Amino acid sequence: MAALSMAAGGSDVKNGVDPASKTITISIEQEPPNLDGSLTADTISGFVLGHVMEGLLRLDQNNQLAPGVAEKWEIGETEATFWLRKDARWNDGKPVTAHDFVFAWRRTVDPASASEYANIMSPIRNADEINTGKMPVSSLGVEAIGDRILKVHFVKPVPYFAQLTAFNVFFPIREDFFKSTNGRYASGAETLAYNGPFKITKWVHGAHLTMQKNEQYWGRDRIKINTIDIPYFTTDPSARINLFRDGKIALTPVAQENLEEAQMLGWNIKSFRDGGVFYVEFNHREGRIGGNKNFRKAIQYALSSSVEVNKVIKVPGYLPGKSLFPVWLDGVDDKLRKEYPAPEYTPDTAKAREYLELAKKDLGLKTIPPIMLLSGDTPLSNRIAEYYQDTLKRQLGLDVRIDSQIFKQRLAKMLAGEFDIVMTGWGPDYADPLTFGDLFMTGNVNNRGHYSNPAYDRQLKIAQNSNNPAERMAAFGAIQKIVFDEAVILPEYERALLYAVDPEMKGVVRRVFGADPDYSYVTIAED
Amino acid sequence: MTQTAPADPAMMDGAFDPLHSELRIQALTRPSLSYWQDAWKRLKANKRAILSLYIIIAMLLFTALGPQVWRVNPAEQDLLQISSPPGADRSAILVAPYVPWAVEEAPTPVTQSDAPDGTQTPAVVTAPAADAGLELVGTATTQMVRLKWNAMPGAADYAVYRNIIPAKGPGTYGLPLGNTDSAEVTRFEDLLDLRAGTTYYSVVPVDQTGAEMPQSINLKVDVVNSITMEEARARRLLKDGETPELGSTVNFALHPMGTDYLGRDMLARLMQGARVSLFIGIVAPLLFVMFGVVYGSMAGFIGGKVDQLMMRFADFVVALPFLLFMILFKIAFGIGPGESGIMPLIVAMVILLWPSTARLVRGQILQVREEAYVNAARLLGARTGYLVMRHMIPNTMGVILVTLTFAIPSAIFTEAFLSFIGMGVAAPTASWGSMSNDGIKTMLTHPHELFFPALMISITVLAFNLLGDGLRDALDAKMRSRE
Repeated sequence: MAALSMAAGGSDVKNGVDPASKTITISIEQEPPNLDGSLTADTISGFVLGHVMEGLLRLDQNNQLAPGVAEKWEIGETEATFWLRKDARWNDGKPVTAHDFVFAWRRTVDPASASEYANIMSPIRNADEINTGKMPVSSLGVEAIGDRILKVHFVKPVPYFAQLTAFNVFFPIREDFFKSTNGRYASGAETLAYNGPFKITKWVHGAHLTMQKNEQYWGRDRIKINTIDIPYFTTDPSARINLFRDGKIALTPVAQENLEEAQMLGWNIKSFRDGGVFYVEFNHREGRIGGNKNFRKAIQYALSSSVEVNKVIKVPGYLPGKSLFPVWLDGVDDKLRKEYPAPEYTPDTAKAREYLELAKKDLGLKTIPPIMLLSGDTPLSNRIAEYYQDTLKRQLGLDVRIDSQIFKQRLAKMLAGEFDIVMTGWGPDYADPLTFGDLFMTGNVNNRGHYSNPAYDRQLKIAQNSNNPAERMAAFGAIQKIVFDEAVILPEYERALLYAVDPEMKGVVRRVFGADPDYSYVTIAED
Repeated sequence: MTQTAPADPAMMDGAFDPLHSELRIQALTRPSLSYWQDAWKRLKANKRAILSLYIIIAMLLFTALGPQVWRVNPAEQDLLQISSPPGADRSAILVAPYVPWAVEEAPTPVTQSDAPDGTQTPAVVTAPAADAGLELVGTATTQMVRLKWNAMPGAADYAVYRNIIPAKGPGTYGLPLGNTDSAEVTRFEDLLDLRAGTTYYSVVPVDQTGAEMPQSINLKVDVVNSITMEEARARRLLKDGETPELGSTVNFALHPMGTDYLGRDMLARLMQGARVSLFIGIVAPLLFVMFGVVYGSMAGFIGGKVDQLMMRFADFVVALPFLLFMILFKIAFGIGPGESGIMPLIVAMVILLWPSTARLVRGQILQVREEAYVNAARLLGARTGYLVMRHMIPNTMGVILVTLTFAIPSAIFTEAFLSFIGMGVAAPTASWGSMSNDGIKTMLTHPHELFFPALMISITVLAFNLLGDGLRDALDAKMRSRE
């Protein structure tokens, strides 16, 4: 087997998609940093774990919740019950039991394991107390009733809890296997137990990862490929483009610069919105100009998200930003943005200038001092920042200084309030408008501009504490209006990712939550 | 032993006789040439060097006078002409301001086909599916392209694609512009980065499960440049008081070298970039080479303990990391983000880069100091100043100029590098380095954005090198009488 794959690697036989052995070859950005599901939160580990593990529920090819280890579930206001399927097995043939979940979840909230995602468990009874060391780990509000029933007790209603169970922090870990690894759990292919559609059969650190179909998986009949081979770990976009051009990998991200070439080569280009919303945030702190509403309105009427998306970003699939809430969020019966449409307005230079005059009067300034625009250091954010700089100069006569920083430094500066306006964004943690809605609550750590508005907080309280969908969505509708009227933020765009797929590979699923891209539904075209 | 030694010539007979008067030194004279006149004469004979000199003068004129002649703001963005190459078609038609596409009618029934409403551009259906009726609404302009088609049986949604070559079946439709997300909506408006020229649209029906169906309807569209009256007026493309009708042709602003990724004029940016690049490229090396010459010649001339001390200090300076000091100076100068870092760059270069010149010059001086003619001059009573000016400097001039000519391009490159990591010029100011850095991302699609700044850097660096080469030959005192 080893000799065979060596020979194949040496010659040019190996393709991105190999119908004979039902193998697909792909590349990932880097080695998965940590495959210990209870502790890890990064996307690459999440991608691998999503293929080799399975939670109580999973997301199907239409991104709808589907039974996973649990075949049936009930979620109430104070507790949830999951009935586990009989044929859910680990790769060594032992059954997946409710105790495996209890063990894994207790580990996540255990202060000793210092999981960065422990806070996601906070709706579960005593989770926060355990994480801060006030209560013993065994007091976590989750219990196994026999091997096949799992009961979860909540502190408050969690409408999105079913979603969470598909996330890697909620995956099971088997206690006896974990103990047998002597603290080396998830350090290699042999020290992980798999209950998902695939299992890792080869893991050369930093170089090569191979996943093969898990024959013990209860849904094995639905898995149509045998192997997912990942021999390339690279963050270099052009390296991946070249690998795809040579037919070595089955999927590659495509950047705006490569679009023309991709069209000429007849690539199968797809676009996928990753659910994130990007916006311009003001600094509302004392002494910063962003605290003035007229100033914010002036900027709002000067900038056009449509021009930004169509002329500056130029990537198909991006949506011009209109609201804090992205289009994909569900409302009561339809999408939230259909039930509560985003406020419409047309950018208007004359109006923007009027607002600026008012702002100058409010602030008692003859001219506005230079504005510090904090932005990311990617080519795209530089391009957008320069577009803002010129637009604000031309339309409002404002001097804008661009402070372009790497991600970490930008976050630090946002936290410290060292900006007037900042280009930033938010990726959702769960599929509820609340994940965006609570961003500008007074005192939220992610409210980097220190915006504070009692009306906003009042609406948010309704959305947080109510279990009535109509009432909650009305509150989000009101929040959306406040955000526009007060120009709390200026939505820029909803991001899209472009990628090209080998036409022989069908059924790659892109997800906002969970393992993305998901190859477990892939079929290989016969020809 | 002393007896057998030859007698002193002065003691020989006739040693005190007067010289014969007829013995005259042959008169071999030429017009007296000063050192600099001679150097200039020899430089003029070197064609490459003179050409380089002209290029450098032209470059300086380009920098100094260019912006007076070509009065275009290098920071102004023309989003109508993004990344347009030199010589692109500039004619555009005047269109009404953009208004969102209002839903004015009920969805078109499958069997009924609407008459095209005043479409000027012929819409050619390349692969007509049965009564699919994909057609343009209005004129296809760079402002927008509006398409509509008839509902297709079984479709729950439509995916709209755009391509620069005709699609060759499923999977080759090109850019996924978007979906209509509904079976009822059988129209699509494309606003995304439209360019004049031929493009190919494909509409692919999507079935209930979200999978694309194998058939598609395709349309070849010729997109023309467009501009609204307001924009044309704002950009002064219309004469005062002139109000042409919609649909008439105006010309976009001229950009002789094309525009960059934000529609900024390349020529104006190259001039601005030249100002930054040449300023750093010339001022910084001149300063640190001058300092290095003074320092090195002092060390070399005085010699001894002072020399040792001075050169160990130079070694110490060599060990200081340039980038770190650059950052320190930037902070010490109180230069915040978004402000130009040119001053600290020059200071850091002058403070840190002189030792190599100093070492070379010192070595040269040490060598020249021991030459016989220097000793002779000294014996004849020459002063230190005379020795330095007459013998030392001309003999080290070659080395100094070589250092200088290598320092200039490396300074230009250093500036480019620092602009690249965000420590040089701040946007929107351009330098050749930052322009190249921006242009390299679109090298394959818009080569002019990289080509022009790279060409400027290459020509300048080459010209300085060749001129330096010629100057070295011309100024080398040892080559003085070899013509």
